[in-house]
Amino acid sequence: MIRNLNIILIFTSALMLAGVYALKFSIENTASERTALIALIDAQEGELSLLKADEAVLSQPGHIEPIVRRHEAALAIGPVQQKQFGAFDALPMRPAKPNSAAMDALFESLAAGVDPIDAILELEGID
Amino acid sequence: MAVTTEGLGPTIALDGARKARTNLTQARIRWMVLALLLGFGLVGGRLVQLGMVVTDSTIEGQARDVITATRPPILDRNGLEMAVDIRVPSLYAEPRRIIDVEEAVRKLRTVLPDLDEAWLRNRLSGDKGFVWVQRELSPAIQDKVMRLGIPGIDFITESKRFYPGMREASHILGSTNIDNQGISGIEKHMDTEAVALLQDLGLARGNALAPVELSVDMRVQHVLYEEMTDAMSRYQAIAAAGVMLDIHTGEVIALVSLPDFNPNEPATALVKDTFNRITSGIFEPGSIFKTVTMAGALDSGAVRINDQFDARYGVRFGRYTIDDFHGKHRILSLPEVYKYSSNIGTIRVMQAMGKDNFRAFLSRMGFDRRVEFELPEMRLPTVPKELSEVGAATASFGHGLSVSPLHMVTAYAAFVNGGNYIAPTLYKRSVEEAEPLYQRVLNPQTSEYVRYLMRLNALEGSGSQMNKAALGYRVGGKTGTAEKVVDGRYSSSKVTNFFASAFPLDNPRYAMIIMVDEPKLEPGAGGTTAGWNAGAATGRLVQRVAPMLGIAPDFSEILDRNLVPPVLR
Repeated sequence: MIRNLNIILIFTSALMLAGVYALKFSIENTASERTALIALIDAQEGELSLLKADEAVLSQPGHIEPIVRRHEAALAIGPVQQKQFGAFDALPMRPAKPNSAAMDALFESLAAGVDPIDAILELEGID
Repeated sequence: MAVTTEGLGPTIALDGARKARTNLTQARIRWMVLALLLGFGLVGGRLVQLGMVVTDSTIEGQARDVITATRPPILDRNGLEMAVDIRVPSLYAEPRRIIDVEEAVRKLRTVLPDLDEAWLRNRLSGDKGFVWVQRELSPAIQDKVMRLGIPGIDFITESKRFYPGMREASHILGSTNIDNQGISGIEKHMDTEAVALLQDLGLARGNALAPVELSVDMRVQHVLYEEMTDAMSRYQAIAAAGVMLDIHTGEVIALVSLPDFNPNEPATALVKDTFNRITSGIFEPGSIFKTVTMAGALDSGAVRINDQFDARYGVRFGRYTIDDFHGKHRILSLPEVYKYSSNIGTIRVMQAMGKDNFRAFLSRMGFDRRVEFELPEMRLPTVPKELSEVGAATASFGHGLSVSPLHMVTAYAAFVNGGNYIAPTLYKRSVEEAEPLYQRVLNPQTSEYVRYLMRLNALEGSGSQMNKAALGYRVGGKTGTAEKVVDGRYSSSKVTNFFASAFPLDNPRYAMIIMVDEPKLEPGAGGTTAGWNAGAATGRLVQRVAPMLGIAPDFSEILDRNLVPPVLR
């Protein structure tokens, strides 16, 4: 009875031992993975900070201005002048309609078959 | 016991053997207990010993967190980065872990040949736990050093401050030291305010810090920087500086002082003459101070806008006579006194107000104390506590007292914004936030008079050179040509020129001071007085920045006519 119990206990403890060591090694593995990941994140954050700094340099007005100056002639650009500004208020109003009443009357009489020139010719005595 | 039982019979000996066996077992148990006690004692002792060890987590006397602490990025008012942190590797050594110092020195010098051999050997020898070898290296060098595989040599990632705008905003930003602590400019101010506290609490790690938003507009800052650089070469000046303020919020839109330094190389700030002339330079302001006299006198009610002043003869004080530069020598109206920048007329205006009232007005405008401002580089102005008759007379046209350009621009902002003094700031601030801080120094009516006078001077007076370039942007301003004191006398060849301006005057938004120190005659220009250099530079500047600030040109004459006070129409 005792012997069997002892054997069982010995096996259990051997199993537990193996289990504990397995756990220990797996934790160590995870820890080293974590360390590697932290290092990777750190390195990438470092790269990111450099990229951000690069972006900031490239978007500075002081960086863009020389580029603009180089292409000034080719693109025909320059600083904005006062005369280039406009406003809706500054647009001239549409010109007033020309007075077309006389012409309309003429066309209407022509359409009715009366040519005013006949009356003038008659008045002047020309046939 | 065994000795006494030996002489007895074998039966007793049997008993004795059993007893001896028991005794032996007991002795063994005792020895075992002792051994176990000793063993556990050793383990326990070692534990106590380990517990007593204080691990040195500091780096040359500073906590690791402080070294690797990050600073918040600084943004301009439109969100453009003005200062960012970059992560850089720094090389350090643990001398107590280095096995072969000679080998380490030899190998390290193949990658970093600039290191002095003797210095490096001395550095790596000994029993120290941590020494810096070289800080802030590039990732490529880090890679090379790691390939050498020297034990006891390693890297730590540090934060380094980087200013993408290079020199353009140097005096605003200031700089940081190698430990990433602010040593000048807004960086230092931030440290005294918030960052130091965060770092103390160990919170300043990672990228969690909220960016700091400044009031500066980098576009305007860039144009101002360019115009000042241009002014330096165009007029062969020894210095040029400019500052622009939002008159309603007191926000500094741009601030440039040349010669300057490169904040990415803090050592360049140690060069002579690179101090911030706007905040820590004090100058005799010259005629731009006449606006102060006019505003004070008009506000006191002692003079009215349509008063006349006798400027026929110079004003005598004992042996001295104060006269006008290009004087008219006739009776002048108040706007004419301003337009022709008459010293005599200004003295009369001040005298009408009374010298004590005038002195009290200077205090009200904050001319005798430091301007409340974030930059640590500030200087006290020198304004006499009490003005004598002659002292008040010279002070009325800006001589005999020295103030910083920041004082002047703050005063001008108050003159044109309706009469509210608002201390300037480098942090973003809305009108709603600024309004509770207003201190009323002038009546709104006086503010309107000052606007009229400034615009008049641009149209007909000494500001006409400025107005040529900035046509349509309704700029008004006053010139100031202050003679420098050389060997105890005022020199007419060495002058400090100012142009104080505000625009657009029909609905003013910005006030500005431009300073050109010791300008020479520009070929083709009409003189070295302020209108020809500081004034002309102001005009060119406004022409470029007004569209950026959302101000469209307007040529309608009604705007200028509306500025004229009803009594003068």
